[in-house]
Amino acid sequence: MNATANKKPDYGSLPRLTMEQAREAAYHLLAMKGEGADVGIDLLHRIERFYYKEARMLDEERYQEWYDLLADDLFYWMPLTESRFRRDPRPTLSPEHMAYFDESKADIAVRIGRIASNLVWTEDPPTRHVYIVAGIEAFETGVPGEYEVHSTFTQYRNRGENDEATLHGRRRDLLREVDGSFQVVRRLILLPQSVLQTKNLSVFF
Amino acid sequence: MNFDASSLVDSEFGTVDRRIFWDKDIYELEQERIFARSWLFVAHESQIAEPGAFVTTYMAEDSVIVARGDNDEINVFLNSCPHRGNRVCFADSGKGRQFTCNYHGWAFGLNGDLKKMPKMGLYKNTPGFRMEDWGLKRARVGNYKGLIFATFCEDAPSLEDWLGDFRWYLDAVLDVEPGGTEFLPGGATRSVLKCNWKFPADNFVGDIYHALWTHLGGAEPTLGPHGGVVVDNEGSYQVSVNGHGWEFNHSFFGNAATMGDKEIIRYMKSREEAITARLGQFRAKMWGAVSSATIFPNFSFLPGYFTFRTYQPRGPLETEIHAWTLVPKNMPDEVKDRFRRGSMRTFSPAGILEMDDGENWEHSTTINRGYVTRHQKLCYAMGADTAVEEDLPGKVNAGQVSDHNQRLFFKRWAEMMKAESWADIPLAENTLDREAAE
Repeated sequence: MNATANKKPDYGSLPRLTMEQAREAAYHLLAMKGEGADVGIDLLHRIERFYYKEARMLDEERYQEWYDLLADDLFYWMPLTESRFRRDPRPTLSPEHMAYFDESKADIAVRIGRIASNLVWTEDPPTRHVYIVAGIEAFETGVPGEYEVHSTFTQYRNRGENDEATLHGRRRDLLREVDGSFQVVRRLILLPQSVLQTKNLSVFF
Repeated sequence: MNFDASSLVDSEFGTVDRRIFWDKDIYELEQERIFARSWLFVAHESQIAEPGAFVTTYMAEDSVIVARGDNDEINVFLNSCPHRGNRVCFADSGKGRQFTCNYHGWAFGLNGDLKKMPKMGLYKNTPGFRMEDWGLKRARVGNYKGLIFATFCEDAPSLEDWLGDFRWYLDAVLDVEPGGTEFLPGGATRSVLKCNWKFPADNFVGDIYHALWTHLGGAEPTLGPHGGVVVDNEGSYQVSVNGHGWEFNHSFFGNAATMGDKEIIRYMKSREEAITARLGQFRAKMWGAVSSATIFPNFSFLPGYFTFRTYQPRGPLETEIHAWTLVPKNMPDEVKDRFRRGSMRTFSPAGILEMDDGENWEHSTTINRGYVTRHQKLCYAMGADTAVEEDLPGKVNAGQVSDHNQRLFFKRWAEMMKAESWADIPLAENTLDREAAE
């Protein structure tokens, strides 16, 4: 499917996880601690290249190409963070909590469709982006062709004259190698702000 | 302070002076005359379900703790130690027996009373010192069907009189199902906008008009080209009581449909008959309709998405949005989860509709930097007030596309800004309680 096509896609037919599948993916992401064996240096190098290219695609608003990097069984999650006492026994992050992003691939298509409508006045003139990805670590998962990848990012945005936002964070991904390239299967985005210090997240991570 | 609010607001024709969105002195007077005298939303009772549970939040710029005591009573008190003033509780939510100040260890109970401190004997020997004089300052607390409000103003009327007949409409979101409502878990979604707090509040009190243009792009992917939402003045309404306002039509799931989840609509339809039996057709049709509302001054919600939010003032040029999602308790977990994702994906900082709004409100605020600019009045003149045929509580306007509610919101703002005391603030007749008493 082409999310940016002029004709409105049938979003109902696009890939979507059930609640149970999304929960399973969320708990998998929460359990990712980088405990697998390090991937080989050649593979790490290819994975790093993948991240730099992905960042450049987002900077250049090449959303359709970026969409094609997402697996059909994508789970894409940015949970909320509360400030809690250390003694508090409740889990800090939970898939039952409100979130900023809690998405299947079909939901990403809706977001791309919104931008592609050319009716989003708050992205016209366009926002300028710089995405910096660093600290890439990749681990074997026990499943051939699937890798656990941890990374840090800085996402800088500027629009108009002086409207800017800088977000720093950390990502945990499950990547899948398909036909010699990578797809994002699961992505957890951890933003270390309990009060979001900007007005919106009109951006992908 | 002698403040001529009537020169800033003309609620008859509908003009508003732009300095009220910019001026620091006006902002400071708002803290005294609007926020410190109003009943402000602080929490939903489901957030503090058990004794010892607490949340911290804000009443405008005042940090407060909302805690459930051992006797199940809900207490609201200032989150500032009366000893040296430090903030007492730094967690957003939690559960405990007491709140202990980090600075010197003064410890306060779940009702705010001072219980103990290190070297307590020195105070016991201090002439004139009494433990009961130095608790955390307590607010008056009211509860309307699960929504907890508080005020530090002793002269304010009861919460029942403050909400007045607006409560009849509030039941269309708060009393649709037996068993009441709850906030979905995880705490508030909070974000910062560089706008004056009144722009989002007046937007929600009565501005469906903006949706037809601002939200074209956000609505297109889920609803098709140019939104597909029918908004006109046939069979739609604006109602205002004491500055609280709600604009709505009778589409039952019109707002909910823009979340793009057919299962939500299927579920809502399956409940329509029972909700109609409970509330009557007029209010049942409001449940998830194309609509928005603000409880004066800064507590707003959207039926259908069921996002409930406060617009916390942070100076004349900054506002913090705190948002939660409300659902009936008896809704199946799977449907609650659909509302969780649906409201997040439309009305949160990453929501495809909310993302359209922020820049409008920010630039409506910051453009007033220009001296000439801020001396040009804003137009709130749309639509002559039009009576309805039905007998309905409050001031009701036929048609939801109008500045009716926004004129009355700013009229209320001017009334409270002008008044030296609560005795000078008019209050609409509370006909619900009068009829209940008769």
